[in-house]
Amino acid sequence: MNAPYFSTFSLSTYLAVAVLLGFFFGFFLERAGFSSAHKLVAQFYFKDFSVLKVMFSAIVVAMLGIAYFSLIGWLDMSQVFVPPTYVWPQLVGGLMLGAGFIIGGY
Amino acid sequence: MTMGVQPFPVAPTPLSVEQAEAMSQRRLKKHHVAIILLHWFNAIVWLCELATGAALIASPYFRVMPYWYISMITSVFGTRANMLRFHIAVGITWVIVFLVYGTFGFHTYLAKQIFEKEIALDRDDFNWLIIRALRILKKSDKPLPPQSSYNAGQKLFALLVYAMVPVIMITGLIMAFHLFSTPAVGWAVVLHFAAVGLVVSGLIIHVYMGAVFPEEKAAFFSMLTGMVSELYAYRHHFKWWREVKMQEEAWKNKFRSGLESRQVAPPMSSPNLAAPPTATETSEVKHGPPGWFQRIFRAPEYWPPYAVGVGLGLTLLATFVLMGQGLGASGGFTSYLVAFIAWVAPNYASHHPYWSNYIQPGQSPLITFLVFELIGVVIGGFVSGWLAGRVRIAVDKGPRTSRCTRYALALGGGILTGYGARLARGCTSGLALSGGAVLSVGAWVFMLAVFAAGFGGAWFMRRYWL
Repeated sequence: MNAPYFSTFSLSTYLAVAVLLGFFFGFFLERAGFSSAHKLVAQFYFKDFSVLKVMFSAIVVAMLGIAYFSLIGWLDMSQVFVPPTYVWPQLVGGLMLGAGFIIGGY
Repeated sequence: MTMGVQPFPVAPTPLSVEQAEAMSQRRLKKHHVAIILLHWFNAIVWLCELATGAALIASPYFRVMPYWYISMITSVFGTRANMLRFHIAVGITWVIVFLVYGTFGFHTYLAKQIFEKEIALDRDDFNWLIIRALRILKKSDKPLPPQSSYNAGQKLFALLVYAMVPVIMITGLIMAFHLFSTPAVGWAVVLHFAAVGLVVSGLIIHVYMGAVFPEEKAAFFSMLTGMVSELYAYRHHFKWWREVKMQEEAWKNKFRSGLESRQVAPPMSSPNLAAPPTATETSEVKHGPPGWFQRIFRAPEYWPPYAVGVGLGLTLLATFVLMGQGLGASGGFTSYLVAFIAWVAPNYASHHPYWSNYIQPGQSPLITFLVFELIGVVIGGFVSGWLAGRVRIAVDKGPRTSRCTRYALALGGGILTGYGARLARGCTSGLALSGGAVLSVGAWVFMLAVFAAGFGGAWFMRRYWL
């Protein structure tokens, strides 16, 4: 049986798994100190690079895992959602989010 | 502390085994973290731009890469138009980052003495180039003249890059937006290729030296950690080593004289600085759980970033394997909002061009992965903070910012962030993190843009945060 498994879950299992994954997501984000706006913003003043370190090491770990699992045929990439590309909206949206980030702190 | 070579020699002297051993243990700071970041940002941009740029040149007069390469890269983007858009978007991000960097970091990074350090070649440098070339040809075994923080080869490359980067940026903008006239665009094309070609010829040596050449391994690692061993500095950048040591010595003397003039005994008071944390630790040990649990989960410090990164990466991987999508945040909030609108005005919501996307007939808009994941996020974040004793109600703001200002900025920034996230179809979690991990091109464009705007805006917001 190939991953991803969401289509085999009952609705209650699906939602319970969502809460569980969210739990770890929130847990790790707090562990890194991302509940503090000050700490998040510190990266833009070259004082604390936790955000970059956490984000990029997480991306690399997940990316390697996905690449490996799809290479050995366990993870069916055609069923995995890859965000579609809209260059201009995403460029402008990113600039807005970055500006909002430094203004609002989150 | 001090080594046998006192006061500092003008030219490198042979080292004894012990001296070399001791020097290989000590580390000196070579690069500021801003420089490291800019270097790798630049490296990524060059990689993206060269890969797509080479594939964009399909005309038989200019083509540099084989057709299979062109079709391979084109297929990554789907169409040539998409590839061109990516090339331009990354290029513009690059220009913006450098403009911001050059404007606001002018005094720090572009001052006269920095230019002298990075590109001005002195007599030693010219001799170095000649001897280096002769040594490679096995025509000479003279020692290389001492070098400052960048050697003559690096300075030459920097000179080339400083001269060509503005050309590449300006011609790129002319090509991208068809500025001025058609002949101007034609000339821009030729200049763009020529300038890139020149930089690439230097880049080949630069990458070879950094990545392959064994003697320069330390230079490569210094671009990751910012540090070099003192031995490497002594052997490869003697003049810089001497400067650092002299500064260190001057600082030490100043410190010593300061201590003497004050006539206080600091050793008595210093242990007290470490006292408060140990006191809280001992009081916590009285609770039940084992020591390792206390140390790992209940310590008030944050976890090391790379450890969290691996944990978060595994969570993200598990999410993809179980759910076929990544983690997110802003999409979940949109569902909460749509649920509210659908509750107040169901007919309006179900016919709205945007919100109707979040509504499936016969099902509440709240039955989605992200909505329930967000519930988990709140619980997980609370549990983590509660274990470490970090839970409290506070306004997180800069020391010179009033509460009201902070609230206003948070609201304003939040509106921008929210609008930007929906425009880009995702936020830092849903698009940058999750999309980044599955190599969505848009996710990386988005991520670069977020960091570009964040670093760019930091200067304007400094009085609210610092």
